[in-house]
Amino acid sequence: MCALFRRDELTRELEEELAFHLAMREERNIEQGMPVAEAQRAARLRFGNPVLWHERLSEIDLVLLPQTVLQDVRYGIRMLLRNPGFTMVAVVALALGIGVNTTIFTAYKAFFALPLDARDPGKMVNLALILHSGVTVPNFSYSDYQAYRDGLHLFSGVIAEGGGEQLTMSGADGVARQRNSGMGSLVEKLRLLPASASVAQFASALFVSENYFTVLGVAALRGRLFKAEDTQALGAFPSVVISEDYWQREFGGDLALLGKTIRLNGIAFTIIGVTPHNFAGTMGFAVPDFWIPLTLEPLVHAHDDFLHDRENQCCRLFARLGPGVSIPQAQSEMTLLAQRLRPLHDAQSELNKPVTALIWPGSPLPVPLKQYSGLRFAILLIMAAGGMVLVIACANVASLQLARTASRQNELSMRLSLGASRFRLVRQLLTESALLALFAGVFALLLSCAFLKALAALLAATVPAEYGTLVYNMTPDLGVFSYVFVISLVAGILFGLAPALESSRSALAYALKAHMGVSQFRSRRLRDYLIAAQVSAALTLMIAGSLLIRSSLHVLNEDPGYNLDHVVSLQIQFPEGTKYTPERKLSLLRELRDLLAALPGVAATTSAQPPAFQNRTTTVSFNRGGSSAGKAQTVVGFDYVQSNYFQTLRIPLLSGRTFEPQGGEHEASVILSKAAAERLWPGRNPIGLTLRMGAEGQTFEVIGIVRDVRGDATNRNDAVLVYLPLPEKRLADYPILIRTHTDPEQLISALAPVISSTDPDLVAHASTVSELFRMTPAFTIPSTAAAIATVVGVIGLLLASMGIYGTVSYVVVLRTREVGVRMALGARKKDVLRLMLGESIRPVFAGLLLGTCFAVGASYLLRRILYGLNALDGISFAGVSALFLVVALFAAYVPSRRAMRVDPVVALRAE
Amino acid sequence: MKTRNDNLQGSLALLVLKSLEQGPMHGWGITLHIERISNEVLRVEEGSLYPALHRMEQERLIASEWGSSENNRHARFYRLTASGRKQLAAEQENWRKITGAVALVLDFQPA
Repeated sequence: MCALFRRDELTRELEEELAFHLAMREERNIEQGMPVAEAQRAARLRFGNPVLWHERLSEIDLVLLPQTVLQDVRYGIRMLLRNPGFTMVAVVALALGIGVNTTIFTAYKAFFALPLDARDPGKMVNLALILHSGVTVPNFSYSDYQAYRDGLHLFSGVIAEGGGEQLTMSGADGVARQRNSGMGSLVEKLRLLPASASVAQFASALFVSENYFTVLGVAALRGRLFKAEDTQALGAFPSVVISEDYWQREFGGDLALLGKTIRLNGIAFTIIGVTPHNFAGTMGFAVPDFWIPLTLEPLVHAHDDFLHDRENQCCRLFARLGPGVSIPQAQSEMTLLAQRLRPLHDAQSELNKPVTALIWPGSPLPVPLKQYSGLRFAILLIMAAGGMVLVIACANVASLQLARTASRQNELSMRLSLGASRFRLVRQLLTESALLALFAGVFALLLSCAFLKALAALLAATVPAEYGTLVYNMTPDLGVFSYVFVISLVAGILFGLAPALESSRSALAYALKAHMGVSQFRSRRLRDYLIAAQVSAALTLMIAGSLLIRSSLHVLNEDPGYNLDHVVSLQIQFPEGTKYTPERKLSLLRELRDLLAALPGVAATTSAQPPAFQNRTTTVSFNRGGSSAGKAQTVVGFDYVQSNYFQTLRIPLLSGRTFEPQGGEHEASVILSKAAAERLWPGRNPIGLTLRMGAEGQTFEVIGIVRDVRGDATNRNDAVLVYLPLPEKRLADYPILIRTHTDPEQLISALAPVISSTDPDLVAHASTVSELFRMTPAFTIPSTAAAIATVVGVIGLLLASMGIYGTVSYVVVLRTREVGVRMALGARKKDVLRLMLGESIRPVFAGLLLGTCFAVGASYLLRRILYGLNALDGISFAGVSALFLVVALFAAYVPSRRAMRVDPVVALRAE
Repeated sequence: MKTRNDNLQGSLALLVLKSLEQGPMHGWGITLHIERISNEVLRVEEGSLYPALHRMEQERLIASEWGSSENNRHARFYRLTASGRKQLAAEQENWRKITGAVALVLDFQPA
């Protein structure tokens, strides 16, 4: 044991001992009559090679096992550095495999496995109801929330969160403001027309119950936060809490902000406190700029009355379990209460029917992940892709190892003859594999940092800005990393094991025979298997990726149902101030519209939300009529539009007529989209039939049907729309959509003078509708998916071709002598090339075949999310296979060329 | 199962152990002793001796310590341990058995 630690001393001692022996031998030789110089030489000759000794001494030393491992490591590092090409390729390949997987699992944990941002998050739970129809609903009305809050005793607190919104913000005078760049709101990305004195901005706000912070267990960073008892006080002195992130970004952390007044949507609020850095509460990875008490919501949206509307399911509920309470217990108490609340609901409402409570561990996601079958599927898909990349990487490294050890026959057999056992050889080779994995691990950490940053940037564009600032962990999760790293270490060793065993066996054979010029049959078979495995895995990845890309392209290019090319959206913001009464706003807007209509190139103007932004839904009730009589209900999307809306956006009227130009709120008519007509009255002509908005709302008559506009292509529900006539007095609440014959960009630049001529204090944001569309999830999600699929596919292709290239290179080196012989026997360069290529390509073909089979299976699994494509999409399969073949041929060709250039004389001489 | 190497090493080990029976010696001393007593028939290869000494020390058949040699040089001396003596007796017995058997076979005369 001591030998382990005293190695240098031992060596010194041994050297001293040998020096003594040598000196004595010299003396003896001199005594026996040899001249001095010859005496010394003879003595040294008898001694032999000292290096050999050191090795043999170490061999014999059983106890020195740990030390030899260290020796292995040092030797391994030397060998790896001596072949930088191989080392780099192998390290990069493994690093890609580890890095990709680390990224995927880290992202998964950051987005889907997040707990709520709270003290002791294990006790927080989400609440939801399972309706009679089986649908899970995580939203509750405010009145119901109050009932649960006061009536459930197994919880120590129930909180409500009312969703995020964008509000206009202004004021906070006397406080220095910083112009923020970075992840701004959606609207701020649009061009800002010349600002005037009182500049208004947008901020994101989250409506929460007063006890939100207390139940979550969060303390104010500065100032104070809401408390449950504050309701009365808040009514008198409306207050908000600001997030630290927004406070720093926008106001530079100025302490003077506390106690100041800020205007949101024109209403004055006092800022009473700051939440801690990156505190996201129930929002998961998005931090809102402001937190506003739910009870103050009516101030901000004067039309809504959701505080008292039991049917308006506005809020998500979360709760903290009381001490010692289990989820099933809480669930039964909640179910009882829910049943008691049933009769309080509208007779037509779903909530009037039997319901059960569903409680699950706290998470920012609205429903338990297992209910998002589509999302789960996508996640599984991405993880599978990551796993395949790892498999390819490991096979890559294994084949490279195999090739390299095959070319190290000389060295290995020499070590064998020096007394190393086969076990030692194998251990040495495995140590090198482990070292490779180590280097790769370090590199992989860096790679996954980069990947995660890119992913973060990609996602910042996808998530709507109402949610606030995105904060998430962009550093690779170390737990995930160590897990993946250990897997790779094990895989690296495992995959290095076969080549190690292989080559140690052949090294023995090599040592016994004179020389070995042709590669062993068995190791060649293993190499071929590895290549075939890589090719098939990479091909599957690429084909799946190609399917996804083509599907995304189809989604993106599909006709949205309206013309978005030449339409400009103009959003007017009226500055705060008593000058802008509703009447004034209306007259300004009318004036503006007239002026705009008069601009050259303008074909039409209307006031409406652009089609991609209609996201309000409501229940409508109607008479089914026909054979199945009786009332029915369904949920549809709705929006208010003017009579010339369809004409402006070029949405064809399929039948019936549009609204009266002067109708407004007096006209009790609706226009249905085709999908809505199909949904409500399948197979019948709905014109003339009536429906009611809400369960007991006003009755409307259907007067026309228009073509569907597409929101999210994969979600058919988006197309079900009911259009209502826009009341004249609400005109100022909507953006102006302008159709132009000319270039929309030109139009935008022409807008500024027109607007300021109407009123110089107005602030306006303008953008083309197609730009807006590109920022919606309907666009970004398919393009993100396509981007990710491309990256993964390319990585797979890269790895597989690296594997082929590496392997063929080493085979060429190995068979140099054979090639020399062939050429000496008269083979032409072309024949040699054909020989090399032919043999390398065979496993590639096998891999392509195998990969195609896997890909067929994969596409069958994918068919659910493929859009507009046949599952066996010919172009993807054939095209990708062809591409792969070409790349593989090239990867095999380049090193094969080197075989052609072998000089037979040199090859034969070098035995 | 002893391999060929082991057998050879076994013979050398036996000779070394026997040499040390007389008293502690250094490596050079052992070499000289064996060469002299065998009348120069047996030549000890340095390349085999020291690895064998090292191994035997690991197996605790012999122990070593540094001291001054007869010509006042710093040298490492080896001596037998208790288990070394036991091993020596066993190996000697084994050797006699083998050589006895070989002699029997060689002396066989068909009657």
